[in-house]
Amino acid sequence: MRNLLFFFRLFIWFSLRNMRKHMGRAATVFFGIALGAAVFTSVRLSVNASLDSFSKSMDLIAGRADHVLTRPGGYVPENLIAKLLNHPMIQNASPVLSTYTRVSQEASEPFLLIGFDPILDRPMRQWQIDDQRGQKGIVWLDLLKEPYTLILSKPLARQLMRTPGDTLYLEHARQKARFKILGMLEVSGLSLAEGGRIALTDISTFQEFTGLFGKVDRIDLKLKSFATARDLAEIQGLLPESIQLNPPTATRDSGQMMIRSYQLNLSILSFASLFVGMFLVYSLVALNAASRRHELAILRATGASADHVFFIFLAEGAFLGILGWVVAIPLGHFLIKYLLQGVSQTISTLFVRVQVETLGLSISEVIFSFAVTVGISILAAYQPAREAMQVPPKEALEISQLGMRPRKSAGQLAFAGLICILLVLPLSRLPALLDMPLPGYLAILLLFVGFAMLAPWTLQRISHSFSSILLKRVGIPAYLASRYVRDSGTRTAVSVGALITAVALFAALVIMIYSFRQTVEYWTYETIKGDLFLTSKMGEINRFRYPIPQQVIDNLQDYKSEVDILPNRRMFLTYGKFPYEFELLDMQGFMQYASFFWLKGDPQKIRPMLKRGEGVIVSEVFSNRTGLGVGDDFKTQIEESYVELPILGIVRDYRTQGGVVFYSMPHFDVRYHPTCWGGLRFFFKDRSQDLDLAVATLRNDIIDRMGDRVDMYSGKGLRSAVLRIFDETFAVTTVLLLIALVIAALGITTTLTVLVLERSRQLNTLFAVGASFRQIRTMIFWEAAFLVVIGELAGVICGFILSYLLVYVINRQSFGWTFLYGVNWTALGASIPLIIMTALAAALPAVKMVFRKPPATLLRER
Amino acid sequence: MNQNTSIPVISAKGLTRIYTLGDSEVIGISQIDLEIAAGELVVLKGNSGSGKSTLLSLLAGLDRPTGGELIVAEYDLNKTSDNQLTHFRRQVVGMVFQSFNLLPTLNVLENICLPALLAGKSAAESRLKAMELVQWLGLESRLNHLPAQLSGGEMQRNAIARALINDPAIVLADEPTGNLDSRNGQIVIDLLAELNQKWERTVLIATHSTLADEKASVRIGLKDGKITGAP
Repeated sequence: MRNLLFFFRLFIWFSLRNMRKHMGRAATVFFGIALGAAVFTSVRLSVNASLDSFSKSMDLIAGRADHVLTRPGGYVPENLIAKLLNHPMIQNASPVLSTYTRVSQEASEPFLLIGFDPILDRPMRQWQIDDQRGQKGIVWLDLLKEPYTLILSKPLARQLMRTPGDTLYLEHARQKARFKILGMLEVSGLSLAEGGRIALTDISTFQEFTGLFGKVDRIDLKLKSFATARDLAEIQGLLPESIQLNPPTATRDSGQMMIRSYQLNLSILSFASLFVGMFLVYSLVALNAASRRHELAILRATGASADHVFFIFLAEGAFLGILGWVVAIPLGHFLIKYLLQGVSQTISTLFVRVQVETLGLSISEVIFSFAVTVGISILAAYQPAREAMQVPPKEALEISQLGMRPRKSAGQLAFAGLICILLVLPLSRLPALLDMPLPGYLAILLLFVGFAMLAPWTLQRISHSFSSILLKRVGIPAYLASRYVRDSGTRTAVSVGALITAVALFAALVIMIYSFRQTVEYWTYETIKGDLFLTSKMGEINRFRYPIPQQVIDNLQDYKSEVDILPNRRMFLTYGKFPYEFELLDMQGFMQYASFFWLKGDPQKIRPMLKRGEGVIVSEVFSNRTGLGVGDDFKTQIEESYVELPILGIVRDYRTQGGVVFYSMPHFDVRYHPTCWGGLRFFFKDRSQDLDLAVATLRNDIIDRMGDRVDMYSGKGLRSAVLRIFDETFAVTTVLLLIALVIAALGITTTLTVLVLERSRQLNTLFAVGASFRQIRTMIFWEAAFLVVIGELAGVICGFILSYLLVYVINRQSFGWTFLYGVNWTALGASIPLIIMTALAAALPAVKMVFRKPPATLLRER
Repeated sequence: MNQNTSIPVISAKGLTRIYTLGDSEVIGISQIDLEIAAGELVVLKGNSGSGKSTLLSLLAGLDRPTGGELIVAEYDLNKTSDNQLTHFRRQVVGMVFQSFNLLPTLNVLENICLPALLAGKSAAESRLKAMELVQWLGLESRLNHLPAQLSGGEMQRNAIARALINDPAIVLADEPTGNLDSRNGQIVIDLLAELNQKWERTVLIATHSTLADEKASVRIGLKDGKITGAP
């Protein structure tokens, strides 16, 4: 205890007082670390909030069910309930239907309407009706008795400004209907699902409203506690072949898996800011260790052990980390507001619908963020601390620094760096571990480390090669700068390493986002072709499950002379645990106007085969996720049909969740079973007319004839919506990237300031032997230029390698897709002078500090 | 005394330098009147804090007086612009420091050439002059060594060579033997004396050692920032 107290005292005397003396430097590092920690923590908390919200919703909706009956691509017959309830091992069975609906003609958000049997559901899920009027029992009975009645959750009732007794018009694929509000749910159990945006209605009302007579989405089962696997197999035997019996966690698990994969990607990206911040800590602790050698020697001479010195510097790193983390709390508070919205929106767009109303502060996440921030700060301080502990006490007796100490071999460091870079390729070829691209991330880490280790050697070689040319062509200040940079050792190299990391990230992400966007743009142009798209009302949010009403289809036949109408049907299925879409298309018509974005297989051969229904084509994501390729058989159960078809080719597809299998709709109807139309595309036969005007006229005409019964999107609008979603998705990434660049610029400012302060005496010697202020300023400017230009060039090279890893390894293993590699030379080119100017501007404060102390005083100091 | 003693190269009248430290003022030197003729070897003596280095830094153009007049080699150091002062430091004075102040990243030859290159002379011209000095100072075998690889005496000889590269009329040495043993200290003083005698430079040595006493043509004592007469 006494030792610990002594250590703290020593730390305060030696380290904290020194930090207080150089407050500006310490504050820059605190701010850098704080920014990194704030980004890292906010990102994780935001994704966690979405994950929690999703899991909570799924759990609340699943209730106490231990098994769920579903029918891939279709609905479960309601009459199975009676059969199931008769089984001795089934304690309870509850049919459930759900859909997103919206109050008609009110600009309100959609909410989840659940249709259920209040009696059968009672033991399955927790839901309580608010008994404000003492009519608790009657309300749910009225729900059974009175058609078109519902119960709203309190938050939803508040948002819709409705109270019990009020009515509202809900719209859906089949119709608009008037509902009466019977009561409100207590704020507990099921009413907390979907962020509280939920309403309950009786199953028969739901079926009448949606037209799903005799059908349910699923039947939730609760088995008796002593039921065995044999009983389960017996229950499965009672069911038709097309019905699947799965644990209720299957959907939740697949959703969680996708969100976690996104979380990992975003965490790693946000960790980059913290990683760059780590260079700042290294830089400051290394400076303190180097510039205070004499003091260290005195400390050792007066009795401090080498371990004391080591732990003082390690504690300095920890202190920077702890204080940085504390400063991160208010910063994170501002950041999270933006990130929470962006992240939940991205998750809803890409993976599963989430409604995040509140941000839960997860203790484990807070501890994790603290541990990571402090951990990397200590790690950054480790090497300087090791160097500091090796300062011998005899140095205390030596006169002032007689000169620069012999430098360590930069060649050895460069060799190690080269080995790291060479390991990148084999590592990147390893498959993902635990469904995560961990070898790919390790390859990226090695790439950064490798380039950082090459930095001292590169600085030495380049400045050595250029020094004589600079002397002859540019002048003595540039020459002196090159000589200093050549001999400055690891300290400048660390800053250059930080800059390399930030620039590499910038360049790689600019390339990746550009490649991705270009590819998506081409894909939308080729595949999402159509002058007008039509779906059932609220088709998109309900994943096109509800067919377009027959009356609408009949009416549309009148337009056939003017337009070609191509139907499609999308079914959401799973292959093992991987969710994908099975899309039926009128291949003949589709290929007349549009085409696929081919990746594998010969399109010339495949097109006629597809038109003849001889096989399917799959998306790259489906192929990568399932391991199925060209020549393999695609097998699945869709409603009552067992589908087995050869895979003819692989195409690029970048829709939500990515995985998709395409097949010819007319052939499916003939070979398996007839399907309904989920969506339609219209192509005008006369392509020479003003298509925008024709689309608007057609749209208005359909509305005039059929009213507001369907959703319609112009092809142009749909394609630009895809690109808008793309840009919104990458907005979070761009913000994280800019923060990493800010931290790197802070690193350059700190390094230059530190290098200038450390060399005050040298600079004043130059002044004394005849250098003008201008020459000294020019020299420092050249030093900055050397660091920045070398950092920028190496960063861009590293960025190109990184972009390959991101496009062909990380994206493939995380999301299953790759894109056509393309470089946005304009953005990249424009960014280079911008970064250089920013970093050089960062050098200006350093120049100002050179002559803060009188030269005479400095030259006399030891 | 030298033959040139009648021409004053340094002239100070009421020379004062006061430093401001927060709210308080510290007197470096106060009301100093001084005339030094060209070709003298002046030893400036005094204890630590007496004002020797302050006076030397004013004479070297490293600092500006806060009061009085100071004319060195016809430069009025109160009125010169920054550019003129830079030219003054390059061409008129050469400075030798107690702790050598060699640039650690430059080798012996480069350290010597530096002031010439800063003054805009060509590398070849600078090198030629540097080689003359190197031979005189016995540093031929150390040309490519970095300061860290030199002994204290060698470092100070390196610093003297650097001070002379631009042929200054005045050489100022601030405690040049302070970091040296007595043998090397004597060598340095002998070199400075030779500089004065053979090369006819005006040399000012600020020291509290007695090594230079017998070589001095003028001795000035300083105490609490004021001249006390010959010590």
